[in-house]
Amino acid sequence: MRPLTEEETQTLFRKLAEYVGSSLKLLLGDGADRYVFRLSHNRVYYVRLSLANFATSIPRDQLLSLGICMGKFTKTGKFRLHITALPILAEHARVKIWIRPNGVMPFLYGSNISNAHVARLPENVAEYQGVVVCTQDDVPLGFGITARSTAEARRLDPTGIVCFRQSDCGEYLRDEDTLFASG
Amino acid sequence: MAPTKGAAKPPSSTKGNSKNNKVLGSKVSKKNVKRPPPKEVKSKARTEKSQLKKSKKREYTDAELDLPKLNMITPVGVVNPKGKKKGKVFVDDPEAMMTIFAMVNAEKEGQIESKIMKARQLEEIREARRKEAEARQTERKSKLENVKDSIRQTKKGKNGAPQGKKSEPDSSKSKSSGKRKSVAFA
Repeated sequence: MRPLTEEETQTLFRKLAEYVGSSLKLLLGDGADRYVFRLSHNRVYYVRLSLANFATSIPRDQLLSLGICMGKFTKTGKFRLHITALPILAEHARVKIWIRPNGVMPFLYGSNISNAHVARLPENVAEYQGVVVCTQDDVPLGFGITARSTAEARRLDPTGIVCFRQSDCGEYLRDEDTLFASG
Repeated sequence: MAPTKGAAKPPSSTKGNSKNNKVLGSKVSKKNVKRPPPKEVKSKARTEKSQLKKSKKREYTDAELDLPKLNMITPVGVVNPKGKKKGKVFVDDPEAMMTIFAMVNAEKEGQIESKIMKARQLEEIREARRKEAEARQTERKSKLENVKDSIRQTKKGKNGAPQGKKSEPDSSKSKSSGKRKSVAFA
């Protein structure tokens, strides 16, 4: 387990900034017991500093997980967000879209969001922007990338795709074997 | 042939006896001194371990060999500065994190802003085109209507003309007798 290098931090923040606005500052916190990002087996964990310090007493190969897993670095050096980061993203989301009850299950099974399933789409959403997907009761289900801007989505036919799925809560079951396996 | 010659001529005889008696005397005294028995020096076999060991060859340093600079693992331009930390440099203090975040966020905001602006402009252009197309269509429709009306009128005119021609004399008659017209069309 180690802190991130500058390059890694930039890659992580660039990815987070797609979904989270300027409130990402709040994520880091300040004071003595702030939150930090730690890298262990290519996975990045969002963890309280005191806890991270305690974790140094555990050998690297025996430390499976700590804090909240944000995602992992691929072998090409890119960062991939995991569904486990959803609570953090949903709290500080830049853009949210709300889907109808009839669109919840298709989304949780891993399909993209069609125009017919969108309950509310905020104004001024650009194309290919990161969004957090919620139910109409404001329960976060996952996150994705918009396929159309708001104006274009309004004109789209009901079967047209509005949002490409990136991650959804169904992954907790579908990717159970690999989601928490480190190494 | 050679050994026989050597045997015939002893080395002392060549120099003469009268030359150095002292030397002879000293030789005699040396003969009396006890010498340790000569040690036998065994020649070592080639297969012996010590013989088999290779003598350590001298190792030359790079500078001594005078190799061309490019023939090394590290290229000429790459020189690792001394006294600098090896390996990765971590970013762990909050200030550095904040600066990185501010940089990344500004970049992202700019990207999104430009995207939205571009989308808006495209939308305006699209709207203008749509309005233009609508206007053109209404114009075309109105033209068509006009043409239709004109045709209708001409048709009416044609239909009406013979009637008119027929009626003209009637009308002329009716004009003369005004009450009759009202009677005819009622």
